[in-house]
Amino acid sequence: MGGFFQVAWAVAGRQIYKYFTNPAFLAPALFPLFFFVAFAGGLTRVGDVPGFDYAAGYIAFQYVWALLQAVSMGGAFTGFSIAGDFENGFARRLMLAASNRYGIILGYTIASLVRATMTGALVTVIALVTGIPISGGFDLFGLIGLAVLVNIAATLFGAGVAMLLRTQQAGPLIRTPIFLVLFLAPVFVPLNLLTGWIETVARLNPFTPILTAARGFLAGDPTDVATAFAISAALVVALALWAVYGLRRAEKAG
Amino acid sequence: MGRDRGIEVENLVREFRKGPRAVDGIDLRVQPGEVYGFLGPNGAGKSTTVLMLTTLLPPTSGTARVAGYDIVSEGPQVRASIGAALQEAALDPFLTGREHLNLQAALHGLSRKERKRRGDELLERVGLEDAADRRVRGYSGGMKRRLDLALALVHAPRILFLDEPTTGLDPQSRSALWSEVSRLAREDGVTVFLTTQYLEEADVLADRVGIIDRGKIVAEDTPEALKEEIGRPSVEATPAEGVGRDAVVRVLGQFGEEIPAQPGAVAVRLSGGAAGLADVVRALDREGVRVANLRLDEPSLDDVFLEKTGRSLEGAGEHEEGEDMETAQA
Repeated sequence: MGGFFQVAWAVAGRQIYKYFTNPAFLAPALFPLFFFVAFAGGLTRVGDVPGFDYAAGYIAFQYVWALLQAVSMGGAFTGFSIAGDFENGFARRLMLAASNRYGIILGYTIASLVRATMTGALVTVIALVTGIPISGGFDLFGLIGLAVLVNIAATLFGAGVAMLLRTQQAGPLIRTPIFLVLFLAPVFVPLNLLTGWIETVARLNPFTPILTAARGFLAGDPTDVATAFAISAALVVALALWAVYGLRRAEKAG
Repeated sequence: MGRDRGIEVENLVREFRKGPRAVDGIDLRVQPGEVYGFLGPNGAGKSTTVLMLTTLLPPTSGTARVAGYDIVSEGPQVRASIGAALQEAALDPFLTGREHLNLQAALHGLSRKERKRRGDELLERVGLEDAADRRVRGYSGGMKRRLDLALALVHAPRILFLDEPTTGLDPQSRSALWSEVSRLAREDGVTVFLTTQYLEEADVLADRVGIIDRGKIVAEDTPEALKEEIGRPSVEATPAEGVGRDAVVRVLGQFGEEIPAQPGAVAVRLSGGAAGLADVVRALDREGVRVANLRLDEPSLDDVFLEKTGRSLEGAGEHEEGEDMETAQA
């Protein structure tokens, strides 16, 4: 077990160090900021639509989605890094030195959490500056807990794909499903205002209860909390198995 | 089976989809402290063998024990016992040499203090102290190879795998790396498994040589024994101006049977081996037979390869699939 954690800390340390010392790695943090500013800034009047009943207002409504989008894409970008490490051969160095190779997955996941924390904090600061209300019933820990689970799930998904394909061509295959899941949820209006096929898809989307619960935490109105955490935890477990499967395929391929 | 058994391989096979057997049932033994040269052309199966022995690629069948540990069921123990510098020095261009050593040491579980001490020691040993805090994207090929060697040694492994360590290096860097490998084996007792396609490298460094061709080991012994196996050395003399060829034939004929030589020259296979050269010189002097040129020809490992495979090692792999291709088919 010692090997597992020593490998994890070493891998995480390298990723985190690169993240903070190379400005190029900070660039992806701009995406959630762009989405937040564009959606919250350009669509504020949506909050006046009859039936829009989110108590914390439209900026807060968009902030939660932008936060979860930021942590999800943080996971995706970690997947890109893993794919790059396999393509340029650096992963072979990790595989060769790691007494416990599962520690490699944990290491990338820890680094992804640090990255997501930075991006999430950036989005939050911008949201506070633009007037997001901090009201009495605000459950910070619930919101952070869900964001952490979403980041871990996205990272494990990206890690599995990256290790399966072992090339940077894996990028679109990591990014596209995450984007679809994020956007086929009630992004711009609450679920009760959606109609047609998008409503059906949004209801089936496992991300919808997570988003709803996260928005509930911010508004001091907990909704679907148990379901959201159960889905998040199940996703983490399932995608951990997926990442392990990817690692084993990578081991077999040499 | 003891834990210091070096490397033991039995009937090791690796097949790739849509490809031939990259490694086709090889057997070999490498004793602790030995430098074993694994010689063969591109695509012969050298790198695939190394990938299997370093637990980076599972074998299709067969068994191998490295440092006494099974490469399939005891991978973590194998990895803790070995160091490896693979064909491509995979380094992170955004990290410095020192940061690479720190990372590698951390992966192996060395304490922070030990990491620093070991890093400084290895940087000095491979001559990279001055470049230690520069990002490796600015390193030359030789510097990257030296760093790669240092990384392989960071946890003081008992067994070191070097996969074509001098490919692409200039003669000076090659010579420096040879010195370091020799020192590791002679002074530190490290077992070295060295793959190469350079005959000279195997000849200079290896205690024993295994020659692999198309996935099979076709010969294995000390370089001297392999060369002796295919024939004794010969001596060729070119008569000086005004000296008859018959006089040279008469003298050289005392030391062995005549064999074909360059036009105008005389060559004999030395029945007493290379040690007979001094006697040849003395006899020529005693008889007053002057020669313009006298040359001792010893069989090379290329001659051994030619004898065993019917092809010359130089360029033998040029028309074969590269090992990268084999790996890509996995």
